[in-house]
Amino acid sequence: MSFLSAQGILVFFLLGMVVFSFFSEQFLSQSNIMTVVRQASIIGIIAVGVTVVIIGGNLDLSVGSLLSFSTVLVVDLHDKIGPVNAILLMFALTLLIGAVNGFLIGFMRLNSLIVTLAMLSAIQGLVLIYSGGQNVDIANQQGTWFAFFGRGYVAGIAVPILLFGLLAIVVQVVMSYTGYGRRIFAVGGNPMAAVYSGIRKNWCVFSTYLISAFCVACAALVLGSRVMGSQNNVGQGYELLVLAGIILGGTSLLGGAGSIWKTVIGVLILGFIQNGLLLMGYPYYIQWIVTWVIIILAVWLDLANKRKRLLTTHS
Amino acid sequence: MFKKTALAASIVMMSTATVYAEGPYRIGITQNNVGVDSYQTTYESAFEAAAEANENVEIVVLDAGGDVARQIGQINNLIQQRVDAIIIWPTNGQAVIPAIRQAHKAGIPVVVTNSKIAEAGLEYIAAFSGPDNVQQGASSAEMMCDALDGEGQIVQISGQPGYTTAMERAGGFEERLAELCPGVELLETQPGNWNRERAQRVMEDFLTKYDRIDGVYAGDDNMGVGALNAAKGAGRADEIVFIGATNFAVGYDAIERGEYYGSIYQSPVDDAEAALQTALDVLGGQEVPKMNFFETPKITAEILGEFDRPVF
Amino acid sequence: MTSLKGFFRGKTAIQPIWIFVIAIFIFFSFMSEYFLSLSNITNILVQTSTIGLLALGMTYVMINGNIDLSVGATLGLAASLVVGIQPLGLTVAVLAALAAGIVIGAINGLIVWKTGVNAFIVTLGAMIGVRGLIFLYTQEQSFYATNFAFADFGASTIGPIPVLAIIFLLCTLVMHLVLTRTGHGRNTFAVGGNPEASIDAGIRLGRHMMINFIIVGFFAALAGVLLASQMGAATPNLGRDYELWTITAVVLGGTKLTGGYGSITGTLGGVLAIGILRNGMNMMQVPAFYVLVILGAILISVLIIDKKLNAPSTKEVRI
Repeated sequence: MSFLSAQGILVFFLLGMVVFSFFSEQFLSQSNIMTVVRQASIIGIIAVGVTVVIIGGNLDLSVGSLLSFSTVLVVDLHDKIGPVNAILLMFALTLLIGAVNGFLIGFMRLNSLIVTLAMLSAIQGLVLIYSGGQNVDIANQQGTWFAFFGRGYVAGIAVPILLFGLLAIVVQVVMSYTGYGRRIFAVGGNPMAAVYSGIRKNWCVFSTYLISAFCVACAALVLGSRVMGSQNNVGQGYELLVLAGIILGGTSLLGGAGSIWKTVIGVLILGFIQNGLLLMGYPYYIQWIVTWVIIILAVWLDLANKRKRLLTTHS
Repeated sequence: MFKKTALAASIVMMSTATVYAEGPYRIGITQNNVGVDSYQTTYESAFEAAAEANENVEIVVLDAGGDVARQIGQINNLIQQRVDAIIIWPTNGQAVIPAIRQAHKAGIPVVVTNSKIAEAGLEYIAAFSGPDNVQQGASSAEMMCDALDGEGQIVQISGQPGYTTAMERAGGFEERLAELCPGVELLETQPGNWNRERAQRVMEDFLTKYDRIDGVYAGDDNMGVGALNAAKGAGRADEIVFIGATNFAVGYDAIERGEYYGSIYQSPVDDAEAALQTALDVLGGQEVPKMNFFETPKITAEILGEFDRPVF
Repeated sequence: MTSLKGFFRGKTAIQPIWIFVIAIFIFFSFMSEYFLSLSNITNILVQTSTIGLLALGMTYVMINGNIDLSVGATLGLAASLVVGIQPLGLTVAVLAALAAGIVIGAINGLIVWKTGVNAFIVTLGAMIGVRGLIFLYTQEQSFYATNFAFADFGASTIGPIPVLAIIFLLCTLVMHLVLTRTGHGRNTFAVGGNPEASIDAGIRLGRHMMINFIIVGFFAALAGVLLASQMGAATPNLGRDYELWTITAVVLGGTKLTGGYGSITGTLGGVLAIGILRNGMNMMQVPAFYVLVILGAILISVLIIDKKLNAPSTKEVRI
C-alpha cells in the first residue's frame, strides 16, 4: 500500500531520468548512478531518522549542526583515542544531544521547530568551542580501517549505499510491522486519542529524537570516513536538504503519515536533480532556478495524482 | 537621561576625532567568518597573541559570521565604542564601503586586512594589508602551465560564490592561464564553497562527465584535497595534476607524498601580524603606503623543505 | 488599553517576551557602559529593523498557518535590484525592487493556492530559486551605490532617531492595526484557526492566503531596499539564514506555528529580544563561538518560561 501511494512521485522520478539522459550520455551509466546514490546516502541516512520524527508529529532542524558535531568529533578523536573508542564516544555524545532534544520536546512539550532551531545554533557553537575553530584531519589516511565506512565496498556496492539501504529497510519494517511503529503513527496523527488509548506519548516522542540522532551518527561515520577530515560547518544547510528530500517523497509535515520508502525516493530524486544539472554543465545559479521549478512540479504532480486516485475510488 | 548620555558620548567622540591618543590604543577588529576554516581561526589567535605581546594595545575582537549586514552593524558598534582604530576583514569588498566611510567621517582610521575592498573605497581607508589574491591566482596558473607543459584539459573548483577572495583567485587564474598557456583548456568551473566534502562531490561529477582531465585548480587546498580524494576513489589520481591555494597542512602532506603538485604558501600569522602592525603604524602617525602585500610564494615538492608545515 | 489584570494573567500575547526584553535590557545596561545610550539604542533599532520588517509579514503568513522560507532570498534580490538599477533613477529602482518582492510573494501565494502544495516546500523551492535569480542577475558581483545620496538616506535621522527605525516602527503600527482592527486581520486568524469553518463563513481561502504572501514579499523587498540603503551596497549573498532568525523571532513573540494565534506586538518583542541579545553580547565582547550557544540556550529558556506562565490557560495538546 505504501508502495502504491508513492507511485506518482516514482513516475515523475523515472520520467526525469529519461529527460536527463537525453541531455547527458553519462547520466544513466552505471558508474554515474552509483556515484549519485553514494553521494545521496549521507542525506538519505539522516532523512530516514528525521522521517520518523516527522511521522511522530514533530520536526528536527538540528540535524545539520549535529552532523558537523559528530563528524568533527569522530575525526578528531580517531587519532587521539583510536577508531573504536572514537566511534563509541561519538555515538554516545550524539545520542546524548538527541536525548536533550527528546527531553525538551517529549517531556517539556516545547515547540519542536524552535527547540531544534535553538539547538542548531547551540550545537554549532559547541562544535566551534570543541575544535577551537580548527579543521580536523586524520593523519594516516591510508592505514586506517575507518576508511571502510565512506570508501569501502562490499560485493561491489559502496558501503554508504549499503548502510543507507540497511537503515531504511530496518526502520521501514519497524514503522510498518511493530507496535512501536503503530504508536508513533498514532501519536503523530492524533495525539489526544493516542494519550486516551494509553500510549505514553512523551516516551514515543523522546524515542524519535534518539532514532534521529542515531541516524546522524551513522551519517557522520560515512562523512568523516569519506573526507578523512572535517570542517566545523560541514553539515550546514543539511537540515533543509533533508526536509526537501522528505517532502519531495510525499511525507506530509503534519505528522501521522509518511513512509521511509517515500523518503528514499525523495532523497534520490534530489540527488539526481543535482547531478543531472551539473552534468548538463549549467552554471550553479541556473541549477538553483531549475531545482525550484522541479521541486514544485514534483510535489504538485504527486498531489494531483493522489487526488485523482481519491476521486476514482470514490465514484 | 538618554539625552545626557548621548551628549556626553558625542563630546567624547569629537575629542577623539581631533586629538590622537598617545596610547594605549584600543583597536577593534571585525573578522569575516571565524570557524568556517582554520585559516581564519589561526589568524584570530595570532592576532590576539600579537596584541597580548604589545602592552600598548587593547583589542575588541568581533566576528561577522560571514554576514555583510552584521559586519556593518559591528563597524557601527565600534564607532559607538570610540575605538582608536578599526581593522576590517571585509565580508564583501563593495558593501562595507559606506560603513568604512562613516568610520572615516568619525575620525577613526580604518585598516582593511586580508581581502581588498573596491577601488571607490580606497580614499576612506588608511591602508590595506594582506595577500594579493589576483596574483595568487596568476601564480597557480603558472604552476599549472609548467606542470602540464602547456597542453591539456583542466577543471576549476572555486570558492563560495560572491566572495571577494573566491572571485579574485578565479579571475587571476583564468586571465593568466589564457595569456600564458592557450593550449590548456579550462573545461568547466563549479563552486566548492570552501568545503572539502562539497568539492569532493563536484569532482566526482566532473570525473563522470569528462573522460580526460589533466589538471584541477582549487580555490584553496581544503577543496583541492577534496578533489584529490574523489580522483583517488575513481582510481584516476595519477593522471591528474592538483594545484591549490592557501596551503593547508593536508595539502602540505599531500605535496610531500607526491600526490599534489603545488599550492600557494600563505601564513595567517604573517597576515594577522601585518594587519596589527599596519594599524599601529597608522596610529603612530607614520607614513604608510596604501597597499601592503605580504609575500605569498608558490610551494611545490622541490622547495617544500624551505617551508614549515602549516599549523592549520 | 489592556487591563493590568489580564496582562499579568497572560491573557495578552505580549506578556512573557516583553518581560524578557525588559529584563535583558536592564541586565546589559549594568554589564556594559556603552549599552545604555541613545545612539546605541537607535543602533539596535536600525539593526533589528531588517529582521523586524521580515517578521511583520511573516507573522501574518504564520497566523494563516503557512510559512515563508524565501524571505531572505527575496530580500537579497530586492537589494541587488535597488542598487543595480540605480543608474536609471532612484525612484525606478525602488519601485522595481518592491515590485520584485510583490511578484515573488504572488508566485508563492498562487502556487500554494492553485496546487495545494505545502507552503513549506513551495517557499523552500523559492528560497533556492530566487537566490539563483540573484546570481543570474548580478553575475556574482556585488553592487555598490555610486550615488552616496542613497547611503546617506540610510544613515539619515529625524531629530535623534534614524529614519530606518522610524519606518520600521510605523510599519509595525500599521500592521498591528490591520491585524487587530480590520476584516482582513480577522480573516487571517479565522483561516489559520479553522480553514474549513472559514470557507463556510465565505472567506475565499486561496485568495486570502495569496494576499498575505504578497504582504510578506513586499516587506521582504522593503527590508532589502532599506538594508541596501543602510549599506549603500548589495551583495548576492545578502539575507542568507535570515528566514530562520525571522521565524524564531515570530515564534518567540508567541505566534503559533500551527496558525490561528499570534500578534504583531509579540513579534516586535521577539525581534527586539534577539537584537538586544546580539548587540549586548557584542558590547560585552562575548566570544563569537559562545554567542551561538548562549543564544540557543536563551531561546529554549524563553520557551520554557512561556510554557510555565501559560500552562494553566492552555489546554491544547498541539505540537
